[in-house]
Amino acid sequence: MENDELGFEEVGRKYPDFPRTIMRKIDTALRGVILSEKALQRAKEEDALYDASADFVGQCGFDLDKPALKVRVPVSAEALPVIGGVFFRDGTYVLGLESVTRGLYSPSGTLVRKGKPYLLDSVDGELWLLDLPREIKLPNGISRGEPMEEVYFAPIPAYFSKKTSRGTPMIKVISSRAPNRITINISDYCHFFKEKLSCKYCSIIPWLLHKGVRTLVNLEDIYETVNEALEEEGGFTSIHLIAGSDPRGVNQNGSHRGNSPYENEVNEYVEVLKTLQRCFGREKIPVQAIASAFPREQLLRLKEVGLSAYRSNIEVWDNKLFEWICPGKAKYFGRQYWIDSILSAVEIFGRGNVSTQLVAGAELAEPYGFKEMDEALASNLEGVEFFARNGVYTTFCILWVDRGSVFYREKQKLPSLEYYVRLAQGINEIRKKYKLSSDFNDYRRDGFHPDMDLVRLDYNET
Amino acid sequence: MDRENSELTFDQVAKKYPDFPRTILRKIDTALRGVVLTEKALERAKEEGALFSGISNKPALLFGALFRDGTWVLGLETYLQQLPCKAIRKGNPYILDVLDGKLWLLDGLPRPFAQDKNVNQSLDAHGLPTRLSARQVFPRAKGRGEPVEEIHFVPIPKYYCKKTSRGIPMSEVVNARFPSSLAITVLHCRFDQEKNLGDPAKAVTCKFCFYATPLFRRKEENYTPESLEDIYETVKEALKEEGRWTSIHLVGGSDPRGMHQNGAYPGNLPREIVKDTSNFISRDKPYEKEVEEDIKVLKTLQKYFGTEKIPVRAIASAFPREQLLRLKEAGLSAYNSHIEVWDEKLFAWICPGKAKYFGRQYWIDSILSAVEIFGRGNVSTQLVAGAELAEPYGFKTIEEALESNLECADFFARNGAYTTFCILWVGQGSVFYAEKQKLPPLEYYVKLAKGFNEIRKKYKLNVGFQDYRRWSNFLDTDLARIDHA
Amino acid sequence: MFKLPKEVVDLINDPESIKIVATADEKGNPHCAVKDFFTLLEDGNLAFAEEFEGSQTNVNLVRAIWFAKNVELTVRGKDGTTYQIKGKPYKYFYTGPLFEKFYLAAREKWGPDSELAGVWVITPEEVKNETYEVRKKEEDKKHPFFRHLDRSSVRRTKIQNSKSEISN
Repeated sequence: MENDELGFEEVGRKYPDFPRTIMRKIDTALRGVILSEKALQRAKEEDALYDASADFVGQCGFDLDKPALKVRVPVSAEALPVIGGVFFRDGTYVLGLESVTRGLYSPSGTLVRKGKPYLLDSVDGELWLLDLPREIKLPNGISRGEPMEEVYFAPIPAYFSKKTSRGTPMIKVISSRAPNRITINISDYCHFFKEKLSCKYCSIIPWLLHKGVRTLVNLEDIYETVNEALEEEGGFTSIHLIAGSDPRGVNQNGSHRGNSPYENEVNEYVEVLKTLQRCFGREKIPVQAIASAFPREQLLRLKEVGLSAYRSNIEVWDNKLFEWICPGKAKYFGRQYWIDSILSAVEIFGRGNVSTQLVAGAELAEPYGFKEMDEALASNLEGVEFFARNGVYTTFCILWVDRGSVFYREKQKLPSLEYYVRLAQGINEIRKKYKLSSDFNDYRRDGFHPDMDLVRLDYNET
Repeated sequence: MDRENSELTFDQVAKKYPDFPRTILRKIDTALRGVVLTEKALERAKEEGALFSGISNKPALLFGALFRDGTWVLGLETYLQQLPCKAIRKGNPYILDVLDGKLWLLDGLPRPFAQDKNVNQSLDAHGLPTRLSARQVFPRAKGRGEPVEEIHFVPIPKYYCKKTSRGIPMSEVVNARFPSSLAITVLHCRFDQEKNLGDPAKAVTCKFCFYATPLFRRKEENYTPESLEDIYETVKEALKEEGRWTSIHLVGGSDPRGMHQNGAYPGNLPREIVKDTSNFISRDKPYEKEVEEDIKVLKTLQKYFGTEKIPVRAIASAFPREQLLRLKEAGLSAYNSHIEVWDEKLFAWICPGKAKYFGRQYWIDSILSAVEIFGRGNVSTQLVAGAELAEPYGFKTIEEALESNLECADFFARNGAYTTFCILWVGQGSVFYAEKQKLPPLEYYVKLAKGFNEIRKKYKLNVGFQDYRRWSNFLDTDLARIDHA
Repeated sequence: MFKLPKEVVDLINDPESIKIVATADEKGNPHCAVKDFFTLLEDGNLAFAEEFEGSQTNVNLVRAIWFAKNVELTVRGKDGTTYQIKGKPYKYFYTGPLFEKFYLAAREKWGPDSELAGVWVITPEEVKNETYEVRKKEEDKKHPFFRHLDRSSVRRTKIQNSKSEISN
């Protein structure tokens, strides 16, 4: 497949009705983006850069040189730059900057990419994404890449530099991965890792795994931090809760197959949701949980504590590949269980408020994945259509192959740009056919989904 | 090439040229097929003040009709003033009828026609029997006919029902043409009065022309102070209708005589003098007679408007430079002289009068001189598109014909003159009618209109006096509407 | 035929309301123009006067009637009530009684040297209330999660040090 891949311009010509910036966004995810000194300086001048080193010393950081399980090691006082995010002119979120964008929980900068990265640099006073493969020699002998897209920084939220009354840096309590989104990573624990059943593409190593216990972020810290974040008027429009999977029921003494599976995980959500209800002073709150597949009774509990939207990621549609790539999900409690849970959620939260996600590209992993792009597309779109028929919107993210994941060790490759273009188009067509919306996951509340960027042209319809 | 059999139908042409406006396509088709009114439609015209029956011994006169977008409907010539009662068309005529209270152009179908002079005349013009039932008229037609375009009538000018102080009907003094123009016929064409040197049996009239028939002859050869007063009074009366008129056009036939020759016809001048045009012009002031009549009218109009320069265009013969300067002095704003046919040999064959007085190059030179005098955009020429395909000497393929016509348009455009074209009308009284010449296909005119419009855009020429509402015969100038901004 | 609600009709007939015609050129470039003479015809169509043959609005309207494109009319009353009417050009008059009526009205307003190219008749196909409060309600219902979290309808707890509170 690699050799037949079309270049960016070729894909642009082949799909003239696909927006250029969204295509570029996909390409930034595939190739990555590095920042020049000048760009970092510019970010600083524009209040778009935050040095988080002081907040994390002794508490966080990965030893990137340790190949196996990453362990937490104290990080010295070296700079830990965090930028507020970068946008194309149309407001589309630039990907490929995962190591320096808001939220420090994103992958560590060791992602496997395709080709040379883009360079984010300041050119004639403007911020540009430069294409390095095509270097331009200037008369003064300095070479630089070809400017492809003008971009701009999003400022750092004001709360980043504040601390809770307990002294916790607020940046550690909530992150804002997309510009209008507050993300609360309520627990780092993923039980699948403990059983060595992690999803094969997953590199989000649970920080506290070695302790083997789930530790919930302090609720009072959440309360204070969210309140502080909301002081920034016009800053945020949604809250997303994420956590690792934990299929255990509370009454089972650690046994997985309790009467109420995933109750442990749900309990954490419930606590956080109640805290957020306090922040908003109302029952129903603008919060989406990106969580495991929960049984109906647990979903109802979440609804009772104000949850508005629910996303449970199926990750891979094909049955066999699901079992191979997501062994934890397959074990607790199989593809049909995950599907059923998602469909139940539609009845509870309503059409348009429930979604699922595919890790697009995982289904092409060797040796068991699809051999042809067309097969992979057909499978993904079958899944999307199935869910859409049942009132669930399916979005996709671009596969990350990062150190720490099984796929990284296996040296899995990324699919082509064209693949993602076709997938985004296909999913968007299905969304239009079923008149579905998925407002929580859109270009500014999530920012990671090229298909959701396309929805912007239909906001007046759906 | 068998032209007739390979012709595309209306729908096929529309499909092939989706960027060509439907109504203009329909306008061409109405010109080619003609339009017949039902009794109900005539009644409607009467109710809306669009029918004038003030001229005795003639059928009532319909002023005209427009498509929804304001495009002029062609093919109604038999109902309009002064046109011959027979013409060669293509296929069945469209039918103008009232459906659910609205006026529609119907494709294909028979309904009882009015046993009215107008309708009879129109049916007759199509070579259709006038006293038979609809079924017999269109034996193969089924159903009611498909409504294809909604249209509306243009009211008769208010001055039409008035008379000048000496009792002349104003409708005969100044002719309202198209929705927004007034036309004054300056003189009658003299080409029909001279035998064609190549074919002594025929006059030197242009072969497509039916205006040379006695029907169109002006009663007086020269304007008198009294007849000029009639013009003055009529224009004054016409302009009381606020918002109606936007231009005045002087029309008429060619008269190559010089004034000082006491009306003698210069046709028998020595050939060498005729060949040396500049020599001839300086000595004999050709077309001076025609210019004199134009100037009389222009001065009358200057008096009415109270300004030197007046919104008047002359559609006239090719005049020598000094005569053009005289017209400019008399206030003329725009000038149009018809080259009719671009190809040199066909020009000589189809327009023997123009070829004789004084040849294609003389006509071209005159048009180009006029650009210097009246300014770019104020001078134009016209082709009678379709004439160049006449048998037996015309082009054999439409590609050749197109190429020749576009070459003409480009040549004039390069030199600041705009070329329009009208659809060939094979009317009774013309040589072409007698020869039973055929009309070109719909697609030909589409290609031509598009081609002319492209050239106009390329040279950034404006269509001024001959746009869709001021002189609505054309197609290419209809297209210019979306480039006015 | 689509019938405009009475409130819209009243707004159109109110000489003090602002009327804007939005059209697009061949390349889709938008063009808006404020129109003075605007009226509802008995048959339910809207009519307005176009002053100049060569105006961008007029040219765009000709293109719209030729190729069945839509145009939009926006009417905004003194109190901010705003309606947007989507429709297609139906007819263009430059002779006849309707044209004459508009022509004479223009004469009266602008004097003896006024110009009026023609009258456009638009068939309304859709009307939408674009008044801020109405749209806000609709949008909040359709996209409840697009609301900023600091809006009073989202966060009911007392907003401290809020800029909006200070301005109140």
